[in-house]
Amino acid sequence: MVHKQFLREAAEVTASRNFPLPLGTRPDLVDNHSVKATLEAINQMQADGVIGAYAIGGAVGATFYLEPAATVDLDLFITIPGESSGLVSLSPIYEHLKARGGKVQDEYIVIGEWPVQFLLAADGLELEAIACAVETDVEDVPTRVISAEHLVAIALRVGRLKDHNRILQFLDQEGVDREKLQKILERHGLTSKWQDFERRYLEGTR
Amino acid sequence: MSKPKLRTRLASLSFSEKIKILEKLRDREKAIAAAGLRRSKPDKDRATDGQEHAASQRTV
Repeated sequence: MVHKQFLREAAEVTASRNFPLPLGTRPDLVDNHSVKATLEAINQMQADGVIGAYAIGGAVGATFYLEPAATVDLDLFITIPGESSGLVSLSPIYEHLKARGGKVQDEYIVIGEWPVQFLLAADGLELEAIACAVETDVEDVPTRVISAEHLVAIALRVGRLKDHNRILQFLDQEGVDREKLQKILERHGLTSKWQDFERRYLEGTR
Repeated sequence: MSKPKLRTRLASLSFSEKIKILEKLRDREKAIAAAGLRRSKPDKDRATDGQEHAASQRTV
């Protein structure tokens, strides 16, 4: 515990001096191969005020409700504390994690072994998804997952083949509350898109 | 066990248990990728099987 605290403080000092620690002596993210450890790092980032509320989306989020499906990354919808203008930079997040051994890789930052994509909640649907997220834990590490209905609404809006496939999985496994979903779709102007989806994939199945 | 039953069983696992499976699936994907069985992007300069076959025919 003391050792961990020491490493954390050492990292803060060296980060503030723009003097990176050699690989293998960096705290928090070293030997971090699991989602659990990645979530611990994210929770720490939230406690440090670097990010505000967050919720897991994408395939890992869907795994909360469905059977596990292979994925390579962790999608995280976030808010930034005190952010009010339209122009927001994610660089404080990148700097914070880089100082703790994270590596930037394309649109991801690799925290331990897991590439994490930080998605800044940009509109009503995403902000609502974070606000209504479900509290859970991964091996006693607390975290939040976007509700099944919000995951479906976001997938519908993104609209790639894999998103449509995920929606079908939710419907097939009766993983969504249809009434709740309908209200979300209406609130965020996605009703006609949903009707298109139904015509394309569900006609003749009901 | 039937496929729908297995799916239902997997879906009813705790999030922690599902995450463990997800990690294993990911490790397997990475191992397959590292084994070089997949090309990350198609190599446009590489001849197709048909072209290679035609070339070998000419050299005979």
